[in-house]
Amino acid sequence: MSGAIEATSGAVDTPPLVAHGLGRTYDGYIALGSFTVEVAAGELVALIGPNGAGKTTFLNLAAGLLEPTAGRIEVAGQPPGSLAARRALSYLPDSPVFYEDLSVAEHLEYVAALHGTEGPTARIEELIGRLGLDGWEDALGAELSKGMKQKASIALALVRPFAVLLADEPLDGLDPPSREVLFDLLAETRAAGAAIVVSTHRPDVIAAADRCVALRDGRLAYDGAPDPAVLERLFDASELEGA
Amino acid sequence: MDAADRSAGKVLAAGDPVAAMKAMRAARRRRYVARTDVMEVLYRVYLWALGALFGLAFLAGALHEVPAGPSAVAGIRVHAPAVIGLAVAVLVLAGLRSGARGGPLAIEAAEVRYTLLAPVSRRTALRPAALQQLRVATIAGAVLGALVGNFVFRRFPGTALEWIGSLAAFGALVPIAVLGAALLASGRRLRPALAAALGLALVGWSVLDLALGRHSSPATMLGDLATLPLQHGASAGPAGLGAGLVLALLAVGLLGIGGLGLEAARRRADLVAEMRFSASVQDLRTVILLRRQLASEHPRRTPWLRLAGGGAHPIWRRAWQSFLRWPVVRIGRVLVLAVAAGAVAVAGFSQTPVLFALPGPLLFVAALDLIEPLAQEMDHPSRRLLLPLPSAVLVRRHLLAPAVATGVVLAVAAVAAAAIGGNPALALGVGAVSLVPCAFVLACAAAVSATNDPYEFALMAPEMSQAVNFAPLLFAAGGVFLPLFAAWKVEGGDGARVGAAFGVAPIVAGFALIGVAVLTWRADKRERGAM
Repeated sequence: MSGAIEATSGAVDTPPLVAHGLGRTYDGYIALGSFTVEVAAGELVALIGPNGAGKTTFLNLAAGLLEPTAGRIEVAGQPPGSLAARRALSYLPDSPVFYEDLSVAEHLEYVAALHGTEGPTARIEELIGRLGLDGWEDALGAELSKGMKQKASIALALVRPFAVLLADEPLDGLDPPSREVLFDLLAETRAAGAAIVVSTHRPDVIAAADRCVALRDGRLAYDGAPDPAVLERLFDASELEGA
Repeated sequence: MDAADRSAGKVLAAGDPVAAMKAMRAARRRRYVARTDVMEVLYRVYLWALGALFGLAFLAGALHEVPAGPSAVAGIRVHAPAVIGLAVAVLVLAGLRSGARGGPLAIEAAEVRYTLLAPVSRRTALRPAALQQLRVATIAGAVLGALVGNFVFRRFPGTALEWIGSLAAFGALVPIAVLGAALLASGRRLRPALAAALGLALVGWSVLDLALGRHSSPATMLGDLATLPLQHGASAGPAGLGAGLVLALLAVGLLGIGGLGLEAARRRADLVAEMRFSASVQDLRTVILLRRQLASEHPRRTPWLRLAGGGAHPIWRRAWQSFLRWPVVRIGRVLVLAVAAGAVAVAGFSQTPVLFALPGPLLFVAALDLIEPLAQEMDHPSRRLLLPLPSAVLVRRHLLAPAVATGVVLAVAAVAAAAIGGNPALALGVGAVSLVPCAFVLACAAAVSATNDPYEFALMAPEMSQAVNFAPLLFAAGGVFLPLFAAWKVEGGDGARVGAAFGVAPIVAGFALIGVAVLTWRADKRERGAM
């Protein structure tokens, strides 16, 4: 993950991702209510909770794709959507999106150029090789299988420098070898100093995390070590795979 | 991908973000052009040109080139700017509402995901799309205005150059005003209620202008521009001021474009993509549903009026429960369509009967809203098949309430025609004798349209599919055209004209019966297919 963090800005002592009293409602329905969390540089946080708990809402708020109705959130000390925050934050959404007339390689070149990746060609080739996208560089989005789309989406999130990585169910659709590669990439990213938030239902991701933040009905239910005993007490097995 | 496609990607890597964005867009444009079938494009242009030529020739023959009388000219000189201004104000209101919900731009989901989340000025990123939309709308408006000017100068004082020039300028400025208002609302993230309030204030101002005979509203000033050759230069100042205000509105809108909310942009991107696909397969029902989502047009939680309990006539009752939950905007839209239909009918009597072809399509659009209860029933075939009565019977019973409601809309149109035109007895008489058959034709046409399966005939021949999709509109247009044309054509007093309209009522009723037969056949066929 060489060169992943240099382009980011923000005060040294400020955690790269801070939310305080963050809330989002839709016509009275509370998608996320008074949520407070800080994620430090080099920390991997597993964001867990049943469907509709508010995980994706939080990630979208942090990415600047949603507007909060209460509280505040800062990325690298700046509000989401600001130039500094966009420079600092990389988002891997739950459903991959592609330009219909650009190939995988062109997407990677474009995103790398937009974010000023140093040595983009080497980085692109590295990600293509490690994620098993060899031979698919010239494919259009519509020609990719679900798993290949997810791999391309992961490559797009990692091809650029960032200080904060938000990943929404990143292991969905990946085969076991690709999951291992993703774990390796996340570990390298964390070692390089990025703050990582991974929304997940998977116990292997929770086990790999430094910290576990659990949401239920839009409210914080747990924030602490990824302790299986605590998680079993909080959630049914049907709500959380293997917890 | 072929070799040419691969090489197109090489230009994407660039030194700075803005250059990268521009290079990517240029590469996509080149690729689009390279993939375009020139012969196919030429063929389409040829078909459009041919259609436009025939249309213009028809209009030229249908429009009487007899110069308007002094009283007509005087009346138009006094009232037309405010009437035109009111129409412009309504369009600006629509633009503001669209902007408050993320319009007018429809940005690709990938563009939101990659470009708008990148450290690139959003104003720089969004400006090309806005300018392209403006360019297309402005040119189309100017051409349409010039065409209208080409016909108008033959009837009214003023030279061809004056009329074509003023109406081309007016035609160009109207879309600029609408898009400028939408860009302002989206860039400044105006709340929908505030955007609607601003638009309604402009509409109210224009109504006051109309009532008081003043020229103070910016929208009325655009009306001054449209009628400049009639004003002998007296309105040049207000017209120029109106044009200046529109251009200022556009400038403010473009300057603030970077403030576009991504939440609204993403939602709009998804809906517009679905809408484009549905429109490409002529699936009007899906287009209507998506458009309602786009406009956040939801039924009211609390109905305007709660119906008293009772188990009798459940289908009739269900339909009225639906109508009584209509949001204000839908009621307003249907009323505007009714008033517009009445106004166009009046213009048909005073100007040219060609205009009688328009009230039918306007009222058909209103009827598409009124047929909603039946359309929902047909949207859920499994639920429909669980009901203890044949589908054809269900469909026929579902026609009654929309037909009655359409009758109310027709009554509004007749009252509007009576108020706008100078002959209330004729307007109300023609309206009264044609109300029932026209209401049933419109309800049946809307029902046939709402229950169309866009893929039913697509495999046989695209032309057949198109004919099936357009037939309801043609029947609606014809059903309303006939009584109006009959009343216009016959010589004599109001009684003779009303009698002529009544005379064609059986033909119009025949149209409705054809609609009922189609619906019955279609429901039976689908029920058999599901068994």
